[in-house]
Amino acid sequence: MKINPSFAEKLLTRFIKEEFSKLNFKKGIFGLSGGLDSSVCALLAAKALGPKYIIGLIMPYRDSFSRDVKDAEDFACYLGISFRIIDISPMVDPYFAKYPTNNRILRGNKMARERMSILYDVSARERALVLGTSNKTELLLGYGTIHGDIACAINPMGDLYKTQIRQLARYMKIPDKILRKKPTAGLWAGQTDEGELGLTYTKIDRILYQLVDLKKTKKEVISSGFQKRDVEKIITLIKGSEFKRKMPPIPKISDRTVGHDFLFPFDWDR
Amino acid sequence: MKVALAQICPKLGDIRKNFHMHIDCIQKAKRKKADLLIFPELSLSGYTLKDMVEEVALQPRTDPLFKQFKTLSRNISFIVGFVEEKEKGLFLNSAAFFSQGKILHIHRKVFLPTYGMFEELKFFGQGKNFTSFPTPFGKAGMMICYDFLHFGSSYLLFVGGSELIIVISAAPGRGFADDDSYASSRMWELMGEAISRFSQTFVIYCNRVGYEDGKSFAGGSFIYNPGGQLIAKSLYVDEDFLVKKIDLEDIRRFRKKRPYRRDEKPEVICEALKRIIENYED
Repeated sequence: MKINPSFAEKLLTRFIKEEFSKLNFKKGIFGLSGGLDSSVCALLAAKALGPKYIIGLIMPYRDSFSRDVKDAEDFACYLGISFRIIDISPMVDPYFAKYPTNNRILRGNKMARERMSILYDVSARERALVLGTSNKTELLLGYGTIHGDIACAINPMGDLYKTQIRQLARYMKIPDKILRKKPTAGLWAGQTDEGELGLTYTKIDRILYQLVDLKKTKKEVISSGFQKRDVEKIITLIKGSEFKRKMPPIPKISDRTVGHDFLFPFDWDR
Repeated sequence: MKVALAQICPKLGDIRKNFHMHIDCIQKAKRKKADLLIFPELSLSGYTLKDMVEEVALQPRTDPLFKQFKTLSRNISFIVGFVEEKEKGLFLNSAAFFSQGKILHIHRKVFLPTYGMFEELKFFGQGKNFTSFPTPFGKAGMMICYDFLHFGSSYLLFVGGSELIIVISAAPGRGFADDDSYASSRMWELMGEAISRFSQTFVIYCNRVGYEDGKSFAGGSFIYNPGGQLIAKSLYVDEDFLVKKIDLEDIRRFRKKRPYRRDEKPEVICEALKRIIENYED
């Protein structure tokens, strides 16, 4: 699970640089939350493209997470990237006034998609490319909103587990106050990833690494010292979220069908 | 002789652009007085082609670009990776050795990786042979990427009399190493060291760099001498153009010291293989 952070930084900045040149974009944009992942993404993008080509969108709902907004602003200033604060409550509140719910997941998902919608709109206005900030842990567990925070054009950190992002962040000298924060999806006040998942990231990542990277069986992972309940929970989350990692299935009718046998690389003609 | 390794980043699917990249490299190699220039696997087309395979396929005998390559090879030899349409509708992952104004040999990739992130068998036909062929620098044999990870391929070139084993590659990197390279680069280097040492040939490996669909090609091209010593190494991950003088007399020196080739028994191996194959179950 230990990474070589200097090599990881080199690979990811090179990736960002190369993708932007292939896609013919100069500017990058992403949601800046004041948390760890988006801060690392900001730093990588600033190194790859230059701070003046980076836009961080800070998109709070009402005045919740005001400390994070402040941290995001401070970090953007520290990096010298441009940032914009767009409050999403005027968009979200009328919808929930008409279709009320107390379901925190529903409300959180709607907000995540509102942020995505704004991100893509501003990206088109600014001719900027949307950078994803999802990590490998989130992608494997499906701990993200489909068509919400998962949506992006390229996802530089998608092959690093959360704990590996922490290693990279320490190496890249991300400020301590961001490093020490409890990870949160920010769907509601007081939410923490680890609280909601019922497991620490250290434990989750160790289990994922054995299951995914080392292709160990459930039995082998349990006998290496993890609780059956925890391993099973993680397997269930992985299986249940494959739809978030795939294009939706299309029923095959013709000889050549999108997603089946119309097979071209992502980098087609780029 | 002087060997040049063009550790380039071809543009996926853009033959015209890649052809010009090749011309530039050939001219550069000529300026540096190289005798042999090596390009990576599928250097003319890029690697992650999928359904683009048929669009970028070339017929060596009639293709106008190949005609230009032949002309250019009058005073320098070079190896190019490309998609070959060998017969109508049969597409192969191939390597052509240009020299003295003609193609001396075409190797067609035998081992097509189709596991994990690889899906070559879906799009390519398979080559059937590993040939040692005469070149101005002695006998040589070519392999393409995954061919080299099957050590039987090297054995065939060794027994066939190759003095230069040339591997062209498009190997994506995986895993972290202690230094700023991929862990998977060790695998290629280990094979390079072992094969060069025990076949007492020069092993020349040319990999590519750049990203395709998120896969990062690892670079780290190298040359091992016939004693298993690393004598030249390109950068990891970054583009590079390496030129190295090698002494073909090294082959004699090492073979005099340890006569592995003299004492080799291909007949025994061949008979034993036949017996194993005859007794396969199913």
